[in-house]
Amino acid sequence: MKVNHILRKVIFALVVCNCISCELPPRGSDSRVTNSAFDAFDTAKIVNEEYVMVTTAVTMPMYVNHDQAAFKRWGEKMNVKVSILGPADWDVPAQINVIEEVIGTRPTGLLINGTDPAIAQVINKAVSAGIPTVVYDSDIPGGNHHAFLGTDWYEIGKMQGEEMMKLINGRGKIAYMGILGMANMEAGFRGLLDVAEKYPDVEVVGKFDDKANVEEAAKITSDLLAAHPDIAGICGFDSNSGPGIALAVREAGKVGTVKITTVDWEPEHLQLVKSGVIQMLAGQKRELFTWYGAQFLYDMVHRTNPLARSDVRARITSIPYQVNTGLIKITAENVDEFMR
Amino acid sequence: MISKIIEDRVYTLAILLVVVYAVAALTFPDTFPTFGNFSQLLLNLSIDTIVAVGMMLLLISGAFDLSVGSVVAFTGCLTAYLMEFYEVPVAPAIATGLLAASLIGFINGYLIAYFGINPMIQTLAMMGIVRGGALLVSGSGIQSLPYWFNAIGQSKLLGIQMPVWYMIVVVLAFTFLLTKTTFFRKYYYIGGNERAADLSGIDVKKMKLISFIIVAALAGVAGILLSSRLGAALPTMGRGLELRVITAVILGGATLSGGYGKIPGALLGALFMGLVANIMVIARVSGYWQDIILGVILIATLWADRTLQQRYAMK
Repeated sequence: MKVNHILRKVIFALVVCNCISCELPPRGSDSRVTNSAFDAFDTAKIVNEEYVMVTTAVTMPMYVNHDQAAFKRWGEKMNVKVSILGPADWDVPAQINVIEEVIGTRPTGLLINGTDPAIAQVINKAVSAGIPTVVYDSDIPGGNHHAFLGTDWYEIGKMQGEEMMKLINGRGKIAYMGILGMANMEAGFRGLLDVAEKYPDVEVVGKFDDKANVEEAAKITSDLLAAHPDIAGICGFDSNSGPGIALAVREAGKVGTVKITTVDWEPEHLQLVKSGVIQMLAGQKRELFTWYGAQFLYDMVHRTNPLARSDVRARITSIPYQVNTGLIKITAENVDEFMR
Repeated sequence: MISKIIEDRVYTLAILLVVVYAVAALTFPDTFPTFGNFSQLLLNLSIDTIVAVGMMLLLISGAFDLSVGSVVAFTGCLTAYLMEFYEVPVAPAIATGLLAASLIGFINGYLIAYFGINPMIQTLAMMGIVRGGALLVSGSGIQSLPYWFNAIGQSKLLGIQMPVWYMIVVVLAFTFLLTKTTFFRKYYYIGGNERAADLSGIDVKKMKLISFIIVAALAGVAGILLSSRLGAALPTMGRGLELRVITAVILGGATLSGGYGKIPGALLGALFMGLVANIMVIARVSGYWQDIILGVILIATLWADRTLQQRYAMK
């Protein structure tokens, strides 16, 4: 009975507090209000200069070898502290949690991997807190970040589609796989399908979730080869799709018969192109995302290229809003240039 | 007094939390012991804790549910889907989402309790089915949710975001239910000795069914709160949540064999994991190390707890 009484008191207190001090979120917080970014931004106070990168799947080899390696090199060259944070797995809410916690520590600049449109709110929180913020890889609609560097995933899908159509002479069955539900990959899928639609003799037999896992990609591919022995080509959209598809195609003895296009250019991918198992890689210039992203933050903080007497008062930044770093097409013809 | 502290994981964990908090506050005086950081820490663990409360109930009865992470995603996505594509008002959409989550719990519970399917196999299969359902309804995710839906998770009370208050209410309510009602106390008997509980007249099957419905409904609440907080419903939400939650609950005093555990233990377990993760972010510990450190801390904590208990028992 005593606990019941206490509970009743707590609930009553909550209701009373709710009436007097409940603060609703601002309306329309998802609109782009670029200028608000600079009101709180004070470039004069640079103490313990530190640039923080927050990503998800922080241990993914593609991120480690490209994004993070370039970011660390940049930190060494500029002689400033750089930190890399984020969950080990692909977990967007966990990435948001880390960004929220980092904001409280007030880093000099924040470099955020644009993993999902859902991170827009936390980007806006960082900008409102006066932290120079750059997004890389995929742009985030509704985010007030100061700059974006990356590639257009729709173009990645389109590049794969166009190359695949050439490889299969515009006819036959194709399938594709990646991480379903990820905004950038879904854009890539659309790019591929928009190209495939123009070829009436091409039949798309499936869209599969390989969960960014080599074994899963290999399993899906071997099932596909069993169900459709005449399949002409398979496209991959995450870093592990290509190696998985290649493994199953090799085991089935269909190297060269089943054409493969995929993304990324890790040593494993390059070796598979060299050995003729994969026909094309649609690569991103990921080093440029983080190198120039960090440089943008640095230039913003240090006012490297002031455009007005006071960029802050003029409500502008002296860095580009958007940079498309473009794509790299790697085939058997130029693969040697990328092998180290 | 000392024996009570050593025997009860809730007390040992609470003391450990205070020690870790004090050390972190002394090490990072500018960034760690602030109201902003503490409220952020609570917010970040609120979703996991709400699910952990349900998982604690299940583990007390000697079962667990691996599908909770997928239910979080599915409930959020289904609710968002109804609001976005069928213009269903916020309240009925949430009610439908919660009903769907409870239905998933009902299917799990019914097949496990009445058909004798192993909980791990059943909930593992359900994990895949429900995750697939989340992908089907939301595609790459649903953004721009209605303002009043977002207000549920983004409003603040006394400067603290609402999910923290919901978490407190859930913890208090289930603490009351498990300590003061005979109905819920039956779960301890079931977890302690299922056969004996059955022979003593407890409807074990019905109780199991209810526990799976409760954990799924709480995962549904968590899914709605997470979508509301993010302002978006993502099919990838809740990936790996089941293992985090089971870890927190074990840390909080439950055992996989059942019969033990307290609801505050679920909160403290989640709080401990959240605190360690928060300190690692503030200390700028690279993401590569975070899982390793969390794993080592979990083993060390359980080992120290067991050693203390054994030494005390020998005396």
